[in-house]
Amino acid sequence: MDVIDVIVKIITWPPLWQLVVLGLVAPLGVVVGILWFERKTAARVQRRFGPLHVSPRIGGAIQLIADLMRYAFQEIIIPKTVDKGVFLIAPLTALVLSIVPVVAVPFTSVSHYWPIPMEYSVLISLALSTISAIFIVLAGWASNNKFSIIGGMREAYMITAYELMIILAILSVSAMTTSYNFVDVVLAQTGGKWFIILNPLAFLAAFISVLMATSGFPFEIPESENEVVAGPFTEYSGLLYGVNMGAAYIKRFVYSIFITLAFLGGWLPYGPGDGFISGYLIPSLVIIVKATILMAVFSFLRAVYGRYRLDQALDFAWKLLFPLALMGFGLGLLEAYIGLIG
Amino acid sequence: MVPPKPVPKTKPRRGIFHAFKGNLEALMIGVKYFIDPKRFTLIYPKEYNKLREGYRGFIVLIKQKCINCASCARICPAAAMKMIRIPEVDEKTGKQKVKNWPVIDYRRCIFCGYCVDVCPTEALYHVPYHDVVYQNMAEMYLDLESFQKPPEYKAAEEGIPVRYIVDEERGLVKVPYKEGEK
Ligand code: SF4
Ligand code: SF4
Repeated sequence: MDVIDVIVKIITWPPLWQLVVLGLVAPLGVVVGILWFERKTAARVQRRFGPLHVSPRIGGAIQLIADLMRYAFQEIIIPKTVDKGVFLIAPLTALVLSIVPVVAVPFTSVSHYWPIPMEYSVLISLALSTISAIFIVLAGWASNNKFSIIGGMREAYMITAYELMIILAILSVSAMTTSYNFVDVVLAQTGGKWFIILNPLAFLAAFISVLMATSGFPFEIPESENEVVAGPFTEYSGLLYGVNMGAAYIKRFVYSIFITLAFLGGWLPYGPGDGFISGYLIPSLVIIVKATILMAVFSFLRAVYGRYRLDQALDFAWKLLFPLALMGFGLGLLEAYIGLIG
Repeated sequence: MVPPKPVPKTKPRRGIFHAFKGNLEALMIGVKYFIDPKRFTLIYPKEYNKLREGYRGFIVLIKQKCINCASCARICPAAAMKMIRIPEVDEKTGKQKVKNWPVIDYRRCIFCGYCVDVCPTEALYHVPYHDVVYQNMAEMYLDLESFQKPPEYKAAEEGIPVRYIVDEERGLVKVPYKEGEK
């Protein structure tokens, strides 16, 4: 009994729980499902079947396991011309850094289960989430391959396009609640006053800029397959490539969690109670389910959209998205001023 | 005559709302297809496309009708039809003689159907399928014996026949093949 108690205690220790279970295990599970969903949806909309022959009864769901196994057992080839240290470190650091923001957000209103104090969680989590992109540029640079460098530079350009918009859009909830605390933000949405309804402009801006940040479909520019092979990840193979892709999806998942907390009511309508299950497990599950639905919407776009050129994306970001984010911010301020938010 | 004046193409002015509407429409179409997918993928080994009569598929020779005129070999644009010399005994006189017979080389054939059209005695005909498998290139150069038999159609033994029809509403539609249909 004692051993199990200790293990449970370790696992449910908030920083570890959020970093490992919510930051790594949950996204991996979600990503496998979402990848399958993405392929099936794109196929469905484009009048195909998608993965099917592996297991026709369940719509080819095992295909993803097969793909994962292929990545896991493939030989990792490190080309002679790359900068070995950076080449190896960049994807791993990107992976770790894309998980880290998870510790800076609350998954419950019970302060006992916060990994860190939450007074400035909106700012801290946003700041942490912006670091990992630089390592994608670094990966492209270290690969010493023209496709990788072009891909890395495109990523660098895209950073200039999305970073400010994400921060502006998500910070507009701080403007609405006059608080940098995600807990306050979520609690202000009690009673169905989700900020997606009160401030759809900011939500739209956040949604599109997250799409840009994670190379989601109309903005899948750094890795666009038919122009630059796999962009920054061209030289990567086997598990390292898997890590790169995993980092991208985890990043999208983490951003989905931010949007869930900021606009989709976080753990609401559930009210966290006492104890681990009611106070921590169920709220985190609610958030993960909402984030997963958001991920599904992101992947649905793949079926509909083509790909913008880099200049079109930058144009779009600064001419349309930036004003949209500002309008969202202004709307938030206005609503706070007239006392719409309790 | 006055040449027509070049008219510069004017793009209609497109505002932000136009773009928004366009995006929304694209998304709605996506959702529509997501709810009601109009798939027409041929799940190949399990189904096969039952082609219509008159399809220019593989070619078979009816030796009894052939008059050894070599028209087919002469018209063939890809030099796939060739005449080969086969010695045989004349039934009436009992003398040895050599006759020319057409054989086909599927490594070269482009399935244009000229040989079938040109044959004066209709000694050649198409079978309505083309998915035939050969184990190596040499096998694709048929001899006189195998040119007289329709090639083996494996897909028909294992799969179910389907047909594609063009529907006004749904576009290309896959329907099960009914026996006796042309
Ligand atoms: S179908 Fe055309 S290419 Fe083929 S053998 Fe006949 S004439 Fe030649
Ligand atoms: S054209 Fe017809 S009749 Fe003449 S050689 Fe060819 S198959 Fe025989």
